[in-house]
Amino acid sequence: MNATAPHPRAALHLMSGTPSLAFAVEGSRLFEVGPEMFEALQAGGAAAELELLDGLAPVAAMPAELGELEGPSAVSLNLVQSCNLSCGYCYADEGRFGGPARTMPEQVALEAVDRLIASAPGPRVTVGFIGGEPFLARDMLHRCVDYAETRGLSAGIKVGFSVTTNGTLLRGGDLDLLRRHRFAVTVSIDGGRAANDRHRRSGHAGSFDQVMRAVAPLLADPGGARITARATVARDDLEVADRVAALSAAGFAEVGVSPVRTSPDPALPLQDGDWPAFLQAMVRAAVEEANRVEAGLPPRFANLWTAMREIHRGASKPLPCGAVASYLSVGADGGVYTCHRTVGDARERLGSLSEFGASEPRRRFLQNRLVNRSEPCSSCWARYLCGGGCHAEVAKAGRTGCDFIRGWLEHCMHAYVQLLPARPDLFA
Amino acid sequence: MDKVFPRNLTARASMLVVGNPAVSRLESGVGNCYPGLEFDHRNLDRRFFPGLVFNYVSQDDALAARDGLRGAKLVAVDMADPELAARAGDGPAQVTRGASLASALADLRSGVEAGATLYLESVEQDSEGMPHSLGMRAAREGGKPLDGLVVWRMIRGLRPAPVTVTLAARDAAGAPAGNPVTLRGWRRLFTDPDTGVVSAAFKPGELTQSLCSPWQHDFRDCSCTYWASNHPDIVTGEPLDGAVLPGGRPADPVVANTPVDWLRSDRAASGLASATSSRGADRPFQMDHYELNQRWQELAPVLEGHEISGMYESRAAESANPLPSPHALADELVRLASLEHVLILEYLYAYYSIRQPAGLATPLDQDLAFARHELFLVAVSEMRHLRWVNQILWQLEHAGLIARRCGAALGVADFVPDTGGAMRPRSLRRLNRATLAAFIAVEEPSGSIDGAYSAVVATLKGPIGRGVHSDEPPVGLGASYPTQLQQMAEMIVADGMEHYSRFKEVEVVLKRLGESAYLADLAPGNSDDPAVAAALAAYSGILSCLERAYSTGDVEEARFILEARNSMMDLSRTAGELASRGIGVPFFVGLTESGILGISVFSRT
Repeated sequence: MNATAPHPRAALHLMSGTPSLAFAVEGSRLFEVGPEMFEALQAGGAAAELELLDGLAPVAAMPAELGELEGPSAVSLNLVQSCNLSCGYCYADEGRFGGPARTMPEQVALEAVDRLIASAPGPRVTVGFIGGEPFLARDMLHRCVDYAETRGLSAGIKVGFSVTTNGTLLRGGDLDLLRRHRFAVTVSIDGGRAANDRHRRSGHAGSFDQVMRAVAPLLADPGGARITARATVARDDLEVADRVAALSAAGFAEVGVSPVRTSPDPALPLQDGDWPAFLQAMVRAAVEEANRVEAGLPPRFANLWTAMREIHRGASKPLPCGAVASYLSVGADGGVYTCHRTVGDARERLGSLSEFGASEPRRRFLQNRLVNRSEPCSSCWARYLCGGGCHAEVAKAGRTGCDFIRGWLEHCMHAYVQLLPARPDLFA
Repeated sequence: MDKVFPRNLTARASMLVVGNPAVSRLESGVGNCYPGLEFDHRNLDRRFFPGLVFNYVSQDDALAARDGLRGAKLVAVDMADPELAARAGDGPAQVTRGASLASALADLRSGVEAGATLYLESVEQDSEGMPHSLGMRAAREGGKPLDGLVVWRMIRGLRPAPVTVTLAARDAAGAPAGNPVTLRGWRRLFTDPDTGVVSAAFKPGELTQSLCSPWQHDFRDCSCTYWASNHPDIVTGEPLDGAVLPGGRPADPVVANTPVDWLRSDRAASGLASATSSRGADRPFQMDHYELNQRWQELAPVLEGHEISGMYESRAAESANPLPSPHALADELVRLASLEHVLILEYLYAYYSIRQPAGLATPLDQDLAFARHELFLVAVSEMRHLRWVNQILWQLEHAGLIARRCGAALGVADFVPDTGGAMRPRSLRRLNRATLAAFIAVEEPSGSIDGAYSAVVATLKGPIGRGVHSDEPPVGLGASYPTQLQQMAEMIVADGMEHYSRFKEVEVVLKRLGESAYLADLAPGNSDDPAVAAALAAYSGILSCLERAYSTGDVEEARFILEARNSMMDLSRTAGELASRGIGVPFFVGLTESGILGISVFSRT
């Protein structure tokens, strides 16, 4: 008798196709498997699994407990909880997050910057501006950037900046600021004119032309800025590839899409039956992207590249994102929140600004959200790539679309194995 | 596992590949600031501050340290340092205030005298619980710049955290000159905390550039006296015209015996000057570090005592026929011992016939000293051979390969091999040209003695043969002789080549001189002369001691070796005194006709 117990089935995830792939959950290790071996693995042969797994170096186990957390390296400032657009699906509810519109007092913003720099765990921190529409508080935003730059300089800490904007309010001085301070700029825009104007409304008119007019000079001359278009996909139009193509044609080098999962308007979030169609749309866009890139064109579909780069480095995450652990959001009320999506939600409030970066409330928040402690995540093969799903969405809508995530990751693994030899430069 | 192919990085990292053990990974390495290991820590700290590149100039081991040169010297401002600017592929966290530091660096030289070299004046870092004095670290002590390696150790102690540095130009004495410049930055994170990848600021090869890898930079300073991974220091050159002796040594005796510096910079034949007697004196003529980087391929491997720049071809396999049995081998060794012995006596006699130089001032004195020295070295080498032959004999006995006890082999042969396979009677002669020619003949490669030892080597290499002696102890089929014996025999053969070469060189030197210029009057003395008798008594004492010591090779007999050595000193002193009176030691007096020494004759008191 062989005394060695077979590995639990969940240790490996098998993906048929050309080539056949096996994904070792621990350590996020991806293998191509020959046909005979794959058949043996599919047949449930413990010997075949042992042959694959026993020849590998051991992988460090995921931590079961979180220790004391170091200070966050990023903060987002909700300068204004209001917006000049009124997008139907907006989680922020025109920036009000379900509450009254308000503007962050400037001393709150500056204090948040100070606290971020003071508790920095390393030589770099990032200050993000969100809202609402942050350029509604243009002057404060400019002053914040200058302040953070100066404070960072004297502390020997490099401060990076990011902003999420609808782009409609950008002016010449704003563009210079974004270029000079090498902003990571995310422009919310849903696709071509028709796709965008369906939900992104400015008064009674669509916002596409308004956005493009304001953003075009930045796209033409980005300077040090890096600009990404972020398209939101509601259930009434699940198409992806067209949005990517249209935004690329409009001048955006990178385009990402996000499905609506929570929204004040219950007609817009994707429902259980929508996920397979959305997956198909994502896969179509990914296939088109792979063909383009293989032909030597530059990458542009950010979702695919983010996933493939995570797969490439074997990302193994106990949590879905850096929120709370390395990233906090400060609301206009001066409260510290778990992320930009939970601003104003008392359940997600970690404390006041004076408690910014304190380890214990954050550790407590994250401890029970470790993916190995969450259900049904703890037995899912994709748990260390997914991390368990957005805290904010899970709290509101539960875990939806898990099959979509798994299907998408499977497709990305195949795309990765296909593209790695063709374009190794893109993974360097 | 040819059915499974790792694809992503973690999969590849976890494949246990044959031939790529864990110890080959950088994290398992014994990173060391001194040469010879995986990388040189000091190279990390050269770029501890983003945008600046320092050299840690050490002067502590200079004969006369120059304060102005010591310390952390700014050698480059690297505006391409990735810490100074976010790159297109970086995330928002990379978007930094690097531009401010970059502009400060660009302004670095304003206010500093053109052409002035900047040095690190001080380093300051939040002391975080350490005694406050450690927070501020000045790169000088008592106004004097600290040595580069001392400053480097300070830098090594910095944490990856904000750090303030002050730079200043210096005057010739090392005092700060002009306005100091203060810069504030983050001590570089040398590796990515997630991936362990070394910072892209370091160019390929930069971390290993100062390692003592063979053929690189610092390998220059390795030597027999300093570091275990040494290189040859002094070697003999290779034949320039290709003429070589059978052992591979140059046929030209001057080349064969001229010690040359292995690291000599001038590699041309004309640069083949003899190395001097000190490392310091050779230094100016050696390749420098940068030359070693560029010209390492010109350095020659050294095999069998001399340089070989081309393809090495091993010596032709011994063609000699092995002796048929251990006993036949023992008989031959006893005969060879008697030849070694007679040569010792002939060489020593000839040695005392060369005039004693008054000093080393004149070329003549130098030539005399050289000839005496060489002749004496060969004589001593033959004494060593006598010992080795006896050792082979006693080890054959100890191994049970010969039943008959040979005892010490200390006979003196009546005849000595001459040219063309002829034999000549042994003879104590002055070192005139004929005598030197006879010495060269006997040591000639492929000569009679060389051939005899080749047979010994061939015998010891092969399986133990079964001879005709009925009293030989039985050995297993295919059993072989102890390896050590073969090595000893091979050393004797190799030395023979050297003896020949040395005599040839003595010939070159003496040819310039008339015999009357170098030869002293010397005639064998009479044993009635008390001094001659004393010399013979010393010689007799040597032999009786060696008889005791060599007969069994037992360790406890070593005291007789010491006693023999003392007698040698006596003999040397007495023979020298006799030579000054024109009298040579008549070594052959009292030898029996058979050539086997009658010990009793000399055992008189």
